[in-house]
Amino acid sequence: MSKTTLPFGRIDSITLDMALPGVFAGQEKEGHVALSEVWMHSLTFSRPGRYMIEAESGAGKSSLCSFIYGNRSDYLGDILFNDTNVRTLSIEQWCLVRLRHLALLPQEMKLFAELSVMENIQIKNRLTGACTTVQIMDMLERLGVAEKADQPAGRLSVGQQQRVAVIRALCQPFDFIILDEPVSHLDATNNGRVAELVTEAAARNGGSIITTSVGNPLVLDEAKHIRL
Amino acid sequence: MQIVGYALANLAGLAIVMCAIRFYSDVSTAYRNEDSFVSKDYMIISRPVSTLTTLGLKKADGGFTPKDISELEEQPWMRKVGAFSSANFSVMASMGLGDSNMSTYMFLESIPDDFLDVMPEGWDWKPGQTVPVIMSREYLALYNFGFAGSRGLPQLSESIIGRVPITFRLSGNGKSTVVMARIVGFSSRLNTIAVPGTFMTWANDQFAVPGTQPNPSRLILEVSKPGDPAIMKYMERHNYEVAGDNTDNSRATYFLRIITAIVVTIGAVISLLAFFILTLSIFLLLQKSREKLHNLMLLGYTPAQAAAPYYRLVVAVNAGILVLSTVIMFVASARWQAQLDEIGVHAGSALPALLAGATIVLAVTALNLLTIRRIVRKAF
Repeated sequence: MSKTTLPFGRIDSITLDMALPGVFAGQEKEGHVALSEVWMHSLTFSRPGRYMIEAESGAGKSSLCSFIYGNRSDYLGDILFNDTNVRTLSIEQWCLVRLRHLALLPQEMKLFAELSVMENIQIKNRLTGACTTVQIMDMLERLGVAEKADQPAGRLSVGQQQRVAVIRALCQPFDFIILDEPVSHLDATNNGRVAELVTEAAARNGGSIITTSVGNPLVLDEAKHIRL
Repeated sequence: MQIVGYALANLAGLAIVMCAIRFYSDVSTAYRNEDSFVSKDYMIISRPVSTLTTLGLKKADGGFTPKDISELEEQPWMRKVGAFSSANFSVMASMGLGDSNMSTYMFLESIPDDFLDVMPEGWDWKPGQTVPVIMSREYLALYNFGFAGSRGLPQLSESIIGRVPITFRLSGNGKSTVVMARIVGFSSRLNTIAVPGTFMTWANDQFAVPGTQPNPSRLILEVSKPGDPAIMKYMERHNYEVAGDNTDNSRATYFLRIITAIVVTIGAVISLLAFFILTLSIFLLLQKSREKLHNLMLLGYTPAQAAAPYYRLVVAVNAGILVLSTVIMFVASARWQAQLDEIGVHAGSALPALLAGATIVLAVTALNLLTIRRIVRKAF
């Protein structure tokens, strides 16, 4: 097997250049697309930085996350990592990006329901070797789900699952972490704990945070608010 | 569940293919034995002797004209044609057996060297050396069972007769000489007394009356498919006689080949169907796990890592099938070999069957792995 390499060392900027979801084609001048500060604009996310993308539902928030994370490419315009057009990345290169440069918490979390909480986290951590079991237990402790570590993820409440998924997303080095509605099912206390954990990790990695919200945003100081 | 169905179906198919090939290589040894000088692909033809030639009413030279030979050479099943050249002088052979001394008039023939599979020792004859001779096994039988008994002469084994010195007195064209000769081998397929071509040329130069060399009366043919009905038809149409019973062997080999081909085809079709079952079940399995595969790759697993369990499954199942088919083949062949041994046919090599089985399994595995790779990458 040939060794996969990337055309960049770290991702210092993510640029959206006249990007628009394919499904919105032809609606450039209408409603929410016309008001958007993301679609059909040139927008750059820099590192380090904090970005809060505010959206109404249906504005293409999860699509944006998928476009940047490389699991969808049904958009017009271009997305660049530094100077590299992401459409040129191979499947293997995307996998490497996801191990070292981009972390994602999907809105649907995508935990494996039949695996335990710890197994769900280890399935990621095994690839990256980023955290020790003790560190993972410590994070579970801080978010108040340590006693669930051996339970199947499918038995947890949505709020608990969100906290597990956040920890899993943190089990890797990253230049950018994308959190798609990370706290939609959390109370203010837990929201604050998640924010604390994420900002610590971002500082440690020298990474940026991009988070989205339709109403219950992550409590993130000094974030640049962008209307989707 | 489908995987089990596949495994059983492909096991049946592969076992049939391997058994058929093994059986073929076992049984075909029966047609290959006992004659190391010329192979079974050769046949010897001659013109029939008619009453007219016997009575001298027709010219005795019933040999093959150059036109006959060139026509034979053009047949699609013909590889090459060689002519028997006969001694155009008289030969008196004598051999000493203890006290008694036997001598008889005899004939000699030669065929081109490239029709001999194995060169007997001393076959590269030069003037002054002992002449090597290959004799038809039937002649020895005639002597042992017909002649020796009635005349009170000792019976001779093949190994003893090889050590008895023979002298040939060659005469003709007003000259004569004596040469030493020795029987170096017996053949079931050459029904003649054969000497090296170099000796024949030398002797004909010395003792034949110049200009009297007749057309060859017998031809040796190397054919591409012994037993091909087209050959028999051609021989019948031209009224050529085929010597010996080798054509029966050839025919049997020909039938055996057809039957083996049919059985191998059936096995191959079963294997092919089984392969489709496997491909289909892998497809269903992967479709069911499509979401999980996608999520794994969202976490940064490469398609190769995500597909690894499926790769392992396919390789394990196919390797198991190969091992089991091989076991079945050996168990089955042990049973028929016991019966074949009783009729004096010994086991052939298991290698062709093993190679065929391994090739099929490798090809199927490679195709399976490619299918998995394609589907997993599509789920990215």
